[in-house]
Amino acid sequence: MPEATYLDANELVINMGPQHPSTHGVLRVILKLDGEKVIGTECVIGYLHRGVEKIGENRTYQQFAPYVDRMDYVAAVSNGLGYCLAVEKLLNIEAPPRAQAVRVILTELNRIASHLLWLGTHALDIGAITPVFYCFREREEVLKIFENYCGARLTTHAFRIGGLQYETYEGFEEQTRKFCDWFIPKVDEYERLLTNNRIWVGRLKNVGVLTADECKEYGVTGPVLRAAGVKWDLRKAQPYSGYEQYEFEIPIGENGDTYDRYTVRMEEMRQAVRIIRQAVDRLPAGPIMGKVPKVIKPAVGEVYVSIEAPKGELGYFVVSDNSTQPYRVRVRPPSFINLQALDRMVRGGLVADVVAIIGTLDIVLGEVDR
Amino acid sequence: MADEHKPDGPAPPPPAGGEAGTPPAKPAAPSAKAPLPKPPAVMAVTPWESDITQLLKERFDGQIPEFSTYLGQNFLVAAPEALVPVLETLKLELDFDYLVDITAVDYPKRPERFDVVYILYSFARNERVRVKIRIPDGYRPATAVTVHLTANWLEREVFDMFGIQFEGHPDMRRILLPEEWQGHPLRKDYSILKQDQAWVRENLSIESGQ
Amino acid sequence: MSISKFFRTIFLVDLFQGLWVTFRNQDPKRIYTEQYPAERPKVAERYRGAPRLNINPDNGETLCIACNLCALACPEDLIVVGSERNEETRRKELTTFTYDTSRCMFCGLCEDACPVDALELTQDFELASYTREGAIWDRQMLEEGPRPTPYKC
Repeated sequence: MPEATYLDANELVINMGPQHPSTHGVLRVILKLDGEKVIGTECVIGYLHRGVEKIGENRTYQQFAPYVDRMDYVAAVSNGLGYCLAVEKLLNIEAPPRAQAVRVILTELNRIASHLLWLGTHALDIGAITPVFYCFREREEVLKIFENYCGARLTTHAFRIGGLQYETYEGFEEQTRKFCDWFIPKVDEYERLLTNNRIWVGRLKNVGVLTADECKEYGVTGPVLRAAGVKWDLRKAQPYSGYEQYEFEIPIGENGDTYDRYTVRMEEMRQAVRIIRQAVDRLPAGPIMGKVPKVIKPAVGEVYVSIEAPKGELGYFVVSDNSTQPYRVRVRPPSFINLQALDRMVRGGLVADVVAIIGTLDIVLGEVDR
Repeated sequence: MADEHKPDGPAPPPPAGGEAGTPPAKPAAPSAKAPLPKPPAVMAVTPWESDITQLLKERFDGQIPEFSTYLGQNFLVAAPEALVPVLETLKLELDFDYLVDITAVDYPKRPERFDVVYILYSFARNERVRVKIRIPDGYRPATAVTVHLTANWLEREVFDMFGIQFEGHPDMRRILLPEEWQGHPLRKDYSILKQDQAWVRENLSIESGQ
Repeated sequence: MSISKFFRTIFLVDLFQGLWVTFRNQDPKRIYTEQYPAERPKVAERYRGAPRLNINPDNGETLCIACNLCALACPEDLIVVGSERNEETRRKELTTFTYDTSRCMFCGLCEDACPVDALELTQDFELASYTREGAIWDRQMLEEGPRPTPYKC
């Protein structure tokens, strides 16, 4: 934020405080305004800092897995996937094909759930109150599948190091297929509600433009980068957990504005259903747990593994010193890094655009602060 | 509740019914009589050769002592003074234009206490590389903000958690913890139960531990 | 602007399309709200809810063999297993078992670790209590389960 010891007569500093319905968590944004136009912003974060990385140094590898769900609590399954993949890489083991396929199904369901929550809350912030109810109704069906599989809806702890703990339940494939068939018309319904709606288009088009070069400068990944026109997705670039077997498209946008991010995420939901359908059709039989040693004590070393979480590139940098507890677990949080770009995106916009842009970045404060 | 805490001392034994003497990180040996070799105490790296290392060796003769690879992931250890030139060369000539992460690891027993790690990715090559520098406590490395704009908040977080100040950073202050917090939590000598008692008492008006 | 687009804008066609979706969802058959607490939700079989110490149905004794694996598996160290050695059978016998549900995150690691399926996380999710100490469960409460006071709604 520009340093100023006194304010110009027209300028105003306003606090969009940590308690705010539209900041998606406890985020404080200090706005410097000239009338309604935003000249500068400053984000103050850390209200939800729980010291997850410090906890990681004091728990064993298996014991730390429930804690990672609580960072991006909206899409807990991806966090677990990233962590399990990182530790499996340190141990040099791989999960068996059936475990990988079930992991893909759950991760894509989790992507749909995360985007649904994003859509509902984003629309709510803009002022469209209806979609949030429909999105949560759909999300309820996904959470039912999670509950049937692992016993919890939100903080799932679904995956274990080396594979899966639970075999899929009776009726898993049927319920998933039924969900996919039921869900696609719902996406069309959301599109009918929002996509051509003149108020929606007016609020989102040309707001918060972030070009591809700016995205790369700021290290922004995920749908924000894809909306700027860069066709890059870690599931295609560096596939993990069997993603190379599935056919899906990477939606990209043109202008890098908020409307493009909306269309990219809607299309990602459709592509996620496509992946789920393929994975369920081809679910291989076999064991669900790989050859994991009884005591997980990886050799001294460090590894960085990242996955395409619904919010961006979620990475885990795990350092091991040959003991049962990790020496350092660093989580590369996509929301934290995407939030940095907020300042660039709101320049010249109005206060209402700040709300739209915070929503479109799809941040979860649990991940920003860890 | 605090009394029920078992002391966070030595690592607990295996949770799934193992007997004493299970070999670490190896599948069950056919005969448990022969003593199994202990895993190495340092990272078992293999040297890394590619066009990237060629160019960097030419450019920074002697300032990059190590080019290694571990589990398929390449990294290089640079001298701390050469950090920003190395990052610039990687960005401008070798297409490593995306700074993924900056983090640090604390090894209190080493004279060069901190290991600051920069993870870079190249869209064109679809490759990742790590740049590590080893610095003692109190050393202020140059900031990477001039090369990659992402480094702004990432370096603030490293400062907040470890106390490593970056020279030339536009806004070096704490990001996740409150401004007046004393101490740097991710250092190994900061115990997990410790808090800044004075800050908690002043600002939350409770005694710590509740 | 073409003629059809002009008319679509004037007659607010896009807004009416959205309103049609909303009105269609007012159909009473599409009501999704569950009237809790009148109708309780049916939770999954694998739901990780309140912990319970299982009892052998044949002879009424506890299944727990006091091996302490659940306490070691717990990330929060909130299980305390007390046992004493029975001199006749030369086995450990369970005396006290304390479980702190206020710090529990219901991750299920204790349930996974138990070798005899004595500790189980049930489908019970109504665990509220009026005091902090009421959230620390002893062996008797673990075996019988929480008995919430039913209120007429």
